[in-house]
Amino acid sequence: MSELIDVIKRGKKRTTEPFEENKLHASIVASCLSVHSPEAVARHAADRVCSVVIDWAANKPEITTDDIRRQAARALTPIHPEAAYIYQHHNVIM
Amino acid sequence: MDYATPLGIIALAALVHASFQLGVSMMTLLSGHSLSAKRSAGRTLGLVASFFAGAFVMTMLVVSTLAFLITKLWTTGLPAFPWIIASSLLIGVGIIIWAAYYRRGREGTALWIPRAMARFLEERTKATKDGAEAFSLGLTSVLAEFVFVIPPAFAAALTITTISAQWQLLALVIYTLVASLGLAIVVVLIGSGRRISTIQRWRETHKRFLQFAAGGGFIVLGAFIYASYVLLPITMLKGIF
Repeated sequence: MSELIDVIKRGKKRTTEPFEENKLHASIVASCLSVHSPEAVARHAADRVCSVVIDWAANKPEITTDDIRRQAARALTPIHPEAAYIYQHHNVIM
Repeated sequence: MDYATPLGIIALAALVHASFQLGVSMMTLLSGHSLSAKRSAGRTLGLVASFFAGAFVMTMLVVSTLAFLITKLWTTGLPAFPWIIASSLLIGVGIIIWAAYYRRGREGTALWIPRAMARFLEERTKATKDGAEAFSLGLTSVLAEFVFVIPPAFAAALTITTISAQWQLLALVIYTLVASLGLAIVVVLIGSGRRISTIQRWRETHKRFLQFAAGGGFIVLGAFIYASYVLLPITMLKGIF
């Protein structure tokens, strides 16, 4: 189901690729682990965020990587605010 | 000989150097990537400490190389010219820091560096797995901010060449220690188990103050050097004082 959604990538070329849930899952887990969360908590948070993002994207043929990041951060904030902060700000640390 | 003025200049130059944020950003990212790669807290601290050692060594190398070049260029004592260069660089770069150290219109602590370079440094930080890589990343962090590192390092190097040989090594160590204070604090915070989100939030909240203080420090130091080493000798020569 989620593979049918096209993701428009960042950058000038704006190429598309199929939405990959495991990529989103891995990035949420990484954000949680980077703020000292236990792995089980990180995986649980990632499962919940992925299901929220997939539900939101279900009826959309195309979404952007920024859309995914925004929706995922919104879903992660009530579950793990510290990880959500790092997830949102990862690209603007440097 | 009066040692208070040269040591004061060296300490202030080092303090403004310590306010640079690229090393802190890279260290924060390094710690985050290391933890998310499931490395232990001890291993992460080891990487961060190696990064610190790299930045420390490169800072010391930059200042000592500049001091060496200065002694080779001006063998019979320093004229006013290098002091004018130092104060101009400090004042000019101080104004640039006020205007452009952080990227405008972007949240977070995105710095002035070109985005392609930021992405490269981020990729290198992510790929860092052992102490040697972290050490060389620390070396690179000082070089990547060379534009901002040069004015205080040059001012410190000039000042170091004016003091007696037995004080020069101490002055070099003082400069490097004070210039590395910001990174040392981050190492201690990471070592004591603080989350990178806490560190990053603090940096984001206080970034405008840090920017103002760093730019202001550059300008004050530039003006002080101009007054002490350019104006004062001229006025004394003309018998005004």
